[in-house]
Amino acid sequence: MSVSAKSIRSAQAIATYPGRKQGLRLSAVALHATLIFFCLVIILPLLWVVLMSVKPVTDAYSGKLLPSQFDFTHYGYALQRLPYIWRNFGNSIIVTFSTVLLTSACAVLAAYAIVHLRLPGKLLLVSLLVGTLYFPTRLVSIIGIFRIQASLGLINTLPGLILPYVTLNLALSILVMKGIFEQISPEILDAARIDGASSWRILWMVMLPLIANGLVVLLIINFVTAWGEFLLAYTLTNDQAMRTLPVALATAMGGFGEWVWPALAAVYVMAIAPGITAFAVAQRWYMKGLQEGALKF
Amino acid sequence: MASTAISPGVTYRSSRLLWLRDSINWLYVLPALFFFCMYMLYPIIEVVVISFTDYKYLSNEPMRFIGLTNFINALQDPVVHLGLWRALYFTLIFLPGVIFIPLFVAILIDRVSNPSLASLYRIILLIPAVIPGPMIFVLWRWMYDFEVGPINTILVNYLHLFTYRNAPQWLGNSPLTIPAIAFVEWWWGLGYHTMFFLAGLAAIPRELFEAARVDGANEWQMFWNVTLPRLRPIFVILVVLRFGTAMAVIDEYIIMGGFNRALPTYTWTVYMWHLAFNIGNWFQGYAAAIGWIGAAAMLIVVGFLFYVFRDRD
Repeated sequence: MSVSAKSIRSAQAIATYPGRKQGLRLSAVALHATLIFFCLVIILPLLWVVLMSVKPVTDAYSGKLLPSQFDFTHYGYALQRLPYIWRNFGNSIIVTFSTVLLTSACAVLAAYAIVHLRLPGKLLLVSLLVGTLYFPTRLVSIIGIFRIQASLGLINTLPGLILPYVTLNLALSILVMKGIFEQISPEILDAARIDGASSWRILWMVMLPLIANGLVVLLIINFVTAWGEFLLAYTLTNDQAMRTLPVALATAMGGFGEWVWPALAAVYVMAIAPGITAFAVAQRWYMKGLQEGALKF
Repeated sequence: MASTAISPGVTYRSSRLLWLRDSINWLYVLPALFFFCMYMLYPIIEVVVISFTDYKYLSNEPMRFIGLTNFINALQDPVVHLGLWRALYFTLIFLPGVIFIPLFVAILIDRVSNPSLASLYRIILLIPAVIPGPMIFVLWRWMYDFEVGPINTILVNYLHLFTYRNAPQWLGNSPLTIPAIAFVEWWWGLGYHTMFFLAGLAAIPRELFEAARVDGANEWQMFWNVTLPRLRPIFVILVVLRFGTAMAVIDEYIIMGGFNRALPTYTWTVYMWHLAFNIGNWFQGYAAAIGWIGAAAMLIVVGFLFYVFRDRD
């Protein structure tokens, strides 16, 4: 009822001001045109690399944007012929999976204690975490990290990458989870405690279902960082077989030898596809998680 | 009387017991703390120590403590000066685009009345946020490529504005390099920063706008007097946070420029890495000092920005 009454009223308003109606429509057109322009700016580079991966080699070098015919053989070629590409994929998968798991677990535990448990020295801990966001820790610490890994014999190994990777996003992850835990009312915790649940059980049974959306944000943020990390991988590995995908792609000189452009583009598409697919599947929870406090710290 | 004499002791004891009991909760923080100390705190302390030595990684000589020599040399090193200026130049181009374009887009999306259309825009803009930064730089290195890059292909083959002989050189030894890299950062951060501003816009009570409208404010006045002051905290965090990261970026310079000292991408960060892991005997002591000087320069500006944006009310 109210909707129809409202629409009638707005229809009357438009009817009484014919000039205003036209103005509204024009500004709406301008609004959507501008937004569509920005969306195109985002999509077109990605579309280019996808098209590049399905172009015949001759098209790739002749300055044509659209393929004259589709050629999907580059994907098979890249996986079979490019040196170490399987190894690089495998390394990236192992490193990313371990890093995401470790970072997220550490962040959930720490943020839970910071927000919902009594923790002497809490303020110091939080200000230390925030402080690291304003300091180029990754850059300043890299010489030290290299020395630690070298003395532990972890250069050119996957654990040698995973261990420092956990710290890359740790402070940010804890702060993001802190924002999400703060949205949960402490009364829920008190109620569970009166029922005799320990803080550990409360985390597993009560909290985890409530932070599910925020966890999606956390997993995606950590996945993106670990999957694409370049500087540490570039520093801590020099054996082509132990390198991860981003380093392999960044050091590949396109167009020379085995690395013909369409094959390189095919590797690239395979490298960014997991992230975009995961985002497409999880975007509903991701958006909810962002609204539930992942952006508030 | 007796009870008052006893009670301070009791509260003292019980508060200490409470403190001990609460300290158990640090077990939850322990895993994070382990990684934090092992791979952040300890390496940073170690870098402090070796910045006062002549440590070279590949040299067999034992390291010698040389006091402030590294710092004095680095402050007089023309490559360090040039590197800091280059980083600052990049930051100054990078910052406005990474703040104001998302603000503009967020205000536009906020006005889209159709909810499914609004979320479609958000999702499309967020796609780059799920592509890792280094992958973005690899993609744009190809986009800017002189021969197969689509930007020059469009300029030459489709728009006929240039020929291959005079087409713009986007990367390398060219004045366009730094703006081109800054543009990549805008492209990458657009969706993510738009989300920040949208969260801020959603938090503004609608009554404020209605009250302003009743008072006869136009759209522009409402933006200046209602929207902008309310977005201030997000603004400050983004400016300061992004300033810090922009001064110390390195991935994009290595991926898009490499280690050529003549290129505008050879900033203090690249110089530091180059010294520590490539040049000569790997002068890690000297590189550590350069790292600290760059970090200090950055912290001074971050502190200055916090001072400028401090709450005046």
